[in-house]
Amino acid sequence: MMRNVTTRVLNRKMTPMEKFLLAIMAIYIVIVASQSPKFFSLETAFDLARNGSGAMILALGCLIVLISGGLDVSFTAIAIVGGYSSVLLSRALGVDNLLFIVAGAVIIGALLGSINAVIIHFFQLSTLIATLGTASVFHGAMVILLGSKTFTRADVPQSMLDFGAFSIFTIKEENSQYGLTIFFPIVIAVGVLTWFLLYRTMIGRSVFAVGSDPESASRIGINILRTRLFVYMYVGALSGLMGIIYFSGLAYINPAALVGTELGVIAAVVIGGAKLTGGEGTILGTVLGVVLWQLFQNTLVHLGLSSSFNDLFFGAVLVFMLGFIYLRQRQANKRALVFTSN
Amino acid sequence: MNKVFKFLGRDRDLSILGFVTTAVIVVLYLMLGSRLFSIGGLQSMSIQVSEFGFLALAMGLAMLVAGIDLSVVAAAGLSGVMAALTMSGEFIPITPENETQIIILGVVVALTTGLLTGLLNGFIIAKLSVPPILATLGTMILYTGIGTAITSGSSISLKVPSFAKLATSTVGPLPMVFVMLLATFIIVSLILTRTRFGRKVYLFGENEVAVRFSGIKSERVILMTYAIIGILVGLAAIVIIARANSMRVGFGESYLLQAILVVVLAGFNPLGGKGRVLNLGIALVLLQVISTSMTAFAFSPYAKNIVWGGILIAVMGMNHYLRAGAPRARRQEPPSETVAIALEQSRR
Repeated sequence: MMRNVTTRVLNRKMTPMEKFLLAIMAIYIVIVASQSPKFFSLETAFDLARNGSGAMILALGCLIVLISGGLDVSFTAIAIVGGYSSVLLSRALGVDNLLFIVAGAVIIGALLGSINAVIIHFFQLSTLIATLGTASVFHGAMVILLGSKTFTRADVPQSMLDFGAFSIFTIKEENSQYGLTIFFPIVIAVGVLTWFLLYRTMIGRSVFAVGSDPESASRIGINILRTRLFVYMYVGALSGLMGIIYFSGLAYINPAALVGTELGVIAAVVIGGAKLTGGEGTILGTVLGVVLWQLFQNTLVHLGLSSSFNDLFFGAVLVFMLGFIYLRQRQANKRALVFTSN
Repeated sequence: MNKVFKFLGRDRDLSILGFVTTAVIVVLYLMLGSRLFSIGGLQSMSIQVSEFGFLALAMGLAMLVAGIDLSVVAAAGLSGVMAALTMSGEFIPITPENETQIIILGVVVALTTGLLTGLLNGFIIAKLSVPPILATLGTMILYTGIGTAITSGSSISLKVPSFAKLATSTVGPLPMVFVMLLATFIIVSLILTRTRFGRKVYLFGENEVAVRFSGIKSERVILMTYAIIGILVGLAAIVIIARANSMRVGFGESYLLQAILVVVLAGFNPLGGKGRVLNLGIALVLLQVISTSMTAFAFSPYAKNIVWGGILIAVMGMNHYLRAGAPRARRQEPPSETVAIALEQSRR
């Protein structure tokens, strides 16, 4: 049975988007590697894994929201609020335990997510506008209630410092040493969990159903409120987890960080083929989208370009890919005489 | 008097908005008095509202055609950077003789860049059928990227002293930039209410498919609308650089949330087809008065954000209940005929 599932997952045909992304990525890697031999090394890959793990976790949450037909822009605010309040709580109680801190952040994140779900469901708001509002309320309320003090290395809980510096294995070279961060297996675990929830549970299937057509979904007996609660609480919980990973990785706690980067994450997920109209999106596509984004963010230096060019490259690829995806759909619609306002 | 009531009754959003605005102004006047409502205070408020007003109007136009434009601030940033570069003396040396020409060139550059950003948005949305949120999300990152790549993220200072006069000079008691904003609002309002194009904009927002079947070239309507948005963005950029006398990418990022807020506050429907420029003007006044008094009360930017976010959700929620009459009525489609008959029978 298990083997059956694995082969089915591995033999799944790639979507055109995924193939396209792989092609772009391959071309980019070949160009960069030919310009700078140092690029093609385990060290670069490990660096990328370290820098990209936070974004990957957020992106997986964002994917679920997009599949459910929504657009959440509050997850970075939730990540900061969850992470920061949990760290403050652990400092206040004097509990320097990583599990406690993570659990705190995840619970706070899920609670904030449920607020989003309730507002979206009962006011029937556009998810973008609702979460735009809640993001500034969450973040503003946190700063006002808890302050906006930053913590440097000396004040960060020791368990988080250990967590951020921990590597599952290290490679020693003559004058340098680098390791694969502990974040990497966590991201893999979150990916597998998300896959399992989406494709192997009732609630996951109902996320697809609600995203495709809420009306039909509710007529076949799917509880839309419960589905939405699951979607936004899951995103909130992942965001809380990401907040801790983010602070641990930096060994510096700044409550003003991260907020404002949410559109980059959404763009990475969209590049991976998730559609705004809901019901569509793959985990592999999301992973590829985030990797491409992180490649641009972290490796343009190898081409001798400054970080000022990050957005230019990513934006250009994003606009191009969006045009490509939707032009195909437009042509398909034209052939099938489908007249929709998407 | 009867006529007034008739007029107010025709547009509920306008009457609610007008009432709330008047109430807020009266309350704040009693609390702050002349601190807020002196000639100087009013002038500085009207200057502040000018740079933001163009962006809000641009966002409103996007919502009329069932879209949203997340790229307005980024596009204004790019237009501003291009114009600031023209007027920085880096490429064209500035002498006292050619200062006027340089200023004209800078204004033209800002408007052209704005127009081009709008046309690109319009092309992606109309010709490639990319949903507006995604299209403008992509171009937002792209425009920011172009701006950052050109300037390496640093601020560009203007070297034409007389250009700043645009922000300081007045027409009678009114600041010059505010007159510009007023004129733009009137023109856009006339275009929307008095021209065929304006009709088509509203029709498209109301029902895109029906518009296509009635023989209107709907793609051209979209392209035109986003072109106008682009010009408005260029105007915003001109006001911004005149006021700040410099420009950097990322300026005014908080305007994006506020622009969406003020447009929704004015009764525009994000699903398209509904919204009046007059209401937008009143909503802008309301927002600016609240914003200035929050500054007078020494609110932190975070506290301001809570207020904006809270108002946004409250207004959207209220609109939902007001429009639907009864909650939930909007979501469920009217029961089909067979269901209605079955319902009727079960009642007997």
